[in-house]
Amino acid sequence: MSEIPLGGILFLVVFIALFGTALIFLARAIGGQRDNNSSVKRDIYECGIPGQEKKESKISVKFYLTAILFILFDIEIIFMYPWAISFKDFIASGLGTPVLISMGIFIAIFVYGLWWEVKSKALEWD
Amino acid sequence: MTADAFLFWFLALVTIGGGSLVILMRNPIYSALALVFTMCGVSALFVTLGAYFVAGVQLIVYAGAVMVLFVMVLMLFDLKHEIEAFAKGQISGAIKILSGGLLAGIVGGAILASTKLSSPTDAAGAAVVDPSKALGYKLFTQHIFAFEALGVLLLVIAVGAVALARSKGGTHGQR
Amino acid sequence: MGRDIFEISINGVKLLLIFFMMVQAVPILVWLERRGSAFIQNRFGPNRVGPLGLLQLLADAVKFLTKEDFAPDKAVRKLFYAAPVFALIPAAIAYAAIPMSVPFTFPAFEFQGTTWGPYELKAQGYEIGVGIVFILGVASLAAYTILMAGWGSGSKFSLLGALRASAQVISYELAMGLSIVGIIMMYGTFNLTDMIQAQQGPFQFSAFGYTIASEWLPNWGIFYQPVAFVLFFSAAFAESNRLPFDLAEGEAELVAGFHTEYGGFKMLMFFIGEYGHMMIAAGLATTFFFGGYGIPWVSTQEMHQIIMGMGFSEVGAQGLNALVHFLSYNIKFAIFLWIFIHVRWTLPRFRYDQLMDLGWKTMLPWALANTVATALVIYFVSI
Repeated sequence: MSEIPLGGILFLVVFIALFGTALIFLARAIGGQRDNNSSVKRDIYECGIPGQEKKESKISVKFYLTAILFILFDIEIIFMYPWAISFKDFIASGLGTPVLISMGIFIAIFVYGLWWEVKSKALEWD
Repeated sequence: MTADAFLFWFLALVTIGGGSLVILMRNPIYSALALVFTMCGVSALFVTLGAYFVAGVQLIVYAGAVMVLFVMVLMLFDLKHEIEAFAKGQISGAIKILSGGLLAGIVGGAILASTKLSSPTDAAGAAVVDPSKALGYKLFTQHIFAFEALGVLLLVIAVGAVALARSKGGTHGQR
Repeated sequence: MGRDIFEISINGVKLLLIFFMMVQAVPILVWLERRGSAFIQNRFGPNRVGPLGLLQLLADAVKFLTKEDFAPDKAVRKLFYAAPVFALIPAAIAYAAIPMSVPFTFPAFEFQGTTWGPYELKAQGYEIGVGIVFILGVASLAAYTILMAGWGSGSKFSLLGALRASAQVISYELAMGLSIVGIIMMYGTFNLTDMIQAQQGPFQFSAFGYTIASEWLPNWGIFYQPVAFVLFFSAAFAESNRLPFDLAEGEAELVAGFHTEYGGFKMLMFFIGEYGHMMIAAGLATTFFFGGYGIPWVSTQEMHQIIMGMGFSEVGAQGLNALVHFLSYNIKFAIFLWIFIHVRWTLPRFRYDQLMDLGWKTMLPWALANTVATALVIYFVSI
């Protein structure tokens, strides 16, 4: 009941990768080439204005913060999964109260982290 | 060769191949993407070991969160200097050889040491119980303190990350 | 994948069928989207090519194939071409794990002297024991498609679009993962088939020694976890970059976001991936909250008995049973896909900071509250 059929998954991955590659080759073969002398065609799209992209602008650090906070909260959510799956069994075997309390402490820490992060305006996108 | 053996060797090849691509590629973004590949390979190897929940968690957390962070952060930078410095450089070549030798030593030592470990005796017993439920049971009975300490650790990491991003005037950019 | 060559080949064909089903659903969905949006906007959609415009997507596919395929000068070619191929993989693998009908037991038969034993064909690509954990894990790999496409295009605007889109995707993965915890607690399993089996029959549960039953409500998950359904479905919109969360590809902001530089067939492959994620969300919503392939008020066993009572043989009854349940799944699935399309053409787009605030400050606390409330209810009802 708990097995993951790796053979099937790997077969599907390999097939889709080959299928996608074949599609791209097919598109390249059928598409042909036009107007190779135009260098504007191969430039990136900037709403029609050629070549005004400056290279030195910095990108906001909020992406980094979002990703790090996502990792942390994702790990906390992952820790809730074994609890969720065995909660009813714990209650049935009499250990319901300590498990509920310990998970309550964990969720309280989670909530505090979330509240602190919102209060400190770490993810304010302006 | 049985199907299980073939699967294991294929996955081992994929994982080690991905790992070696990580250190051999010049562009750091290719290295990060090769590391994603390696993580997926490790997740598949967890499946062959019977740790299904851990395999899923490896995909969700490692390949789906941590590596996304790595790739996103690498894209925030201009990496031309890193690529050049990695390609030339004799010091980097020396470091490559040194770390390769170190890794070979560790792996050899691990293989030699693991032949002394006993074979898993409770595998037959664990196969009856759902592994995910068994994990939940152990987590909440034996390792409850580590579980709570992990929550506190994650909170500390959150505070540290925000403080780090702010220390150079980070989160409100340049106006 | 199977014990002998017959089962392996059947399972392989089944996997390919599911993948091609996902690919072929895209023309149908795009046709539905274009006609449906036209209906909502009080105009005609495509109605020239074929009856009711049904062949429009075929014409579009041929047109895309004949377009020139090139990469911009500044593009990183390996990533540029790898991104659309990679877009197909997470969606197809996750969709193959969703059960679409009851398993069909094939009796043993004689062929060329050997007995090919009784087989059980499951109506899904493969059955995953840790179902939802695997699906969430694979769906979270979709962020790499966006990042590879954005970086591979070699354009700063594409990169910005990709970073914003991936930040949005990962923020809503949290809400999606957390909203499921209530359902997992209630059914006590990760396996999708077990969850569907637990949602059979009429609505009943036992509390404080009494059994509360209702004959006119099916035993579906939505009656137990309505908040989780709303959260999950809304987060699924953000996961597949659909309006009202499609700022990453919104035309007014960054042209087309991370897939600006893509044309022709590569663009189609991105959309196959996007519609694939839509299908996963619709499939998961029916599995968790609407009983999956089950028929309301009738359990799968009762349905089997009804069909047997109509005078079919055992194998025929099994086949018909599987077909009826497949139809039931498809009806619910189609309703959810229509909801996706309807919402797209009804609601305006969110601004990016509104979108991120919604994900972190509204959905995540509500999902937590739902989890805590469910835990307390389960605890007190059992005690």
